[in-house]
Amino acid sequence: MAIAKAERLMNLALCLLGTRRPLSKRELRESIEAYLEASSEDAFSRMFERDKDDLRELGLVIETVENLDGEVGYLARRDSNRLPPVTLDAEEAAALGLAAKVWQQARLAGAASGALQKLRAAGLPEDFDPYEAHGALEPRIPVHEAAFEPLMLACRDRRPVVFDYRKANAARPEPRHVEPWALECWRGHWYLAGFDRDRGAERVFRLSRITGKVRSRGGRFTVEIPDVVTVRETVASWAGETADRSALIRLRSGAGYPLRAKATSVRELGDGWDELEIPYGHGLDAWLVEFGPDVVVLEPAELRADVVDRLRAVAKG
Amino acid sequence: MAGKPVRPVNAIDQTRRMLSLVTYLKERPGARVEDVARAFGISEDELVSDLDVLPMCGTSFRGGDLLDIDTDGERIWWHNPDDVAEPLRLAADEATALLVAARAVATLPGLREGDRQALLRATAKVETAAGEAAGASSRLSVTFESEGGVFADVDRAISERRRLWIRYYSPARDEVTEREIDPIRLVSVGHTYVEAWCRRSEARRTFRLDRVAEIKILDEPSAPPEVELRDLSEALVQPAAEDPEVVIEVGPGGRWVAEYYPHDSADELADGGLRITLRTPDPASLRRLALRLGRDGRIVSPPDLADSARHAAREALLAYDGVGAAHDSRE
Repeated sequence: MAIAKAERLMNLALCLLGTRRPLSKRELRESIEAYLEASSEDAFSRMFERDKDDLRELGLVIETVENLDGEVGYLARRDSNRLPPVTLDAEEAAALGLAAKVWQQARLAGAASGALQKLRAAGLPEDFDPYEAHGALEPRIPVHEAAFEPLMLACRDRRPVVFDYRKANAARPEPRHVEPWALECWRGHWYLAGFDRDRGAERVFRLSRITGKVRSRGGRFTVEIPDVVTVRETVASWAGETADRSALIRLRSGAGYPLRAKATSVRELGDGWDELEIPYGHGLDAWLVEFGPDVVVLEPAELRADVVDRLRAVAKG
Repeated sequence: MAGKPVRPVNAIDQTRRMLSLVTYLKERPGARVEDVARAFGISEDELVSDLDVLPMCGTSFRGGDLLDIDTDGERIWWHNPDDVAEPLRLAADEATALLVAARAVATLPGLREGDRQALLRATAKVETAAGEAAGASSRLSVTFESEGGVFADVDRAISERRRLWIRYYSPARDEVTEREIDPIRLVSVGHTYVEAWCRRSEARRTFRLDRVAEIKILDEPSAPPEVELRDLSEALVQPAAEDPEVVIEVGPGGRWVAEYYPHDSADELADGGLRITLRTPDPASLRRLALRLGRDGRIVSPPDLADSARHAAREALLAYDGVGAAHDSRE
């Protein structure tokens, strides 16, 4: 029966960590049973390269050293792989325990527990229940978008990407070439900020509108990433939350609580209606129409016309 | 490898865990299986399967230089030379996962100040310990939305086990109702919700904090019946199989509906739009959506939902005539 991958990785890690001198591929093959069992030199080489990459993903610093005969050897030096001393008290440990449960994405959930386990091995205090310590709080970071993981890796490694993207009201997706800067989750949705190579400008993309696969392009990009990436501001303006004007509406008494919560002034008219002044930004017309006959727009004329236009489209249905 | 059964374990996560286990067990001779499993956040079965693998690992299988760790199923013993096990530095993904999550939780409005300070201190220490590996964590950020004042009251009511009175806005009906609720837990998934036993409907309900118009902590004790906590990771509102079906057709401008409404299916239409099928216990609540869509979409079924949106729009237009709206210039 084939030897499980975890056992093979574990053996390679222990060999590389245990040695004081670089070990050649040949020596490693002789020390690790799974490699000896590999069907050919080629199969072993492929397996070995993949395993080395996997261990590096786990944080192992593996050095490649050439000896005098030109033979390549590998080792993971103790001092470059050791966790520096870190002392956390019980409260801090509880806080990290809560944080480690937050990810709902397999790769990051695994990485967060892995981080906690490494800290645990280094003496992180236990004997607590993070939920007990924090009331009954359960923060969760949702990740439903398939594009998340490849984009996260591309941001980390500064690799340009290409993906098909469908703009909010476009019938078909279009390919976009992007230098990915940062990912941000806001109101449960993920956004990518980056440099759009075709448009020569910074753009924000919503991950749920990426169709198909995210492909990495060759090379790394070296352009400085701005310190402040304004994902949230950009998205808020899409959502019409940056209002620059105000509107006057009539609202039926008792209806439209969220409109009242946003209103800058409310005046009772006494005939079952109130008059409200509310911030007027992009998208307000669509929102007001949701309230049907409970809202009447008074001013400005442009908003009034937009709302009437939308109502007519529904009335014709 | 052909013919091997599907392996439920992730080899990467297991390797990572076993490397830490070796160090951890060294410091705790005779550690109890259940304690170690809890400290590592895994089941006892997972731990036992790790303990089956570890004695096969070492620096030389030929030289017999293998880890000497054994267990009787209850306790674990470690007999190795001391130098095989040191705590390992954090990988970039590990530092990112922990730091991004800790920073996100620390920004939750309404979080207790003591908890926030502990998170910030822990974050700073982990950043230092991670060194360069912490760099990539600046590429990800997460904001949880919450109403700080409401959050703090709910949090206090949960820890003091007291009932809450709220005025709550229901968008489906566009109405604010008063309820008494026994809070169970706070859940943040982008927005923050309180899961509670609602005394009015005698059922478990989730309430979004930014829809709480008013809140008071009552003197009565909270007494939610024992309920099994659901996994809320997928959707907070899970439609039941017997809920009525709604079919909506949208044009390209209405594709966002599929992003915001959990649905059973979304089929592409020739014009770049979608035909979306979803289920909801209360189709009337979708009248708002029908009104909002305007010319970007229409309700295909049920027909009475489409009718009610049409009626609402016509009634609304009458009001415009009433206050002197522009004359209807029907093409």
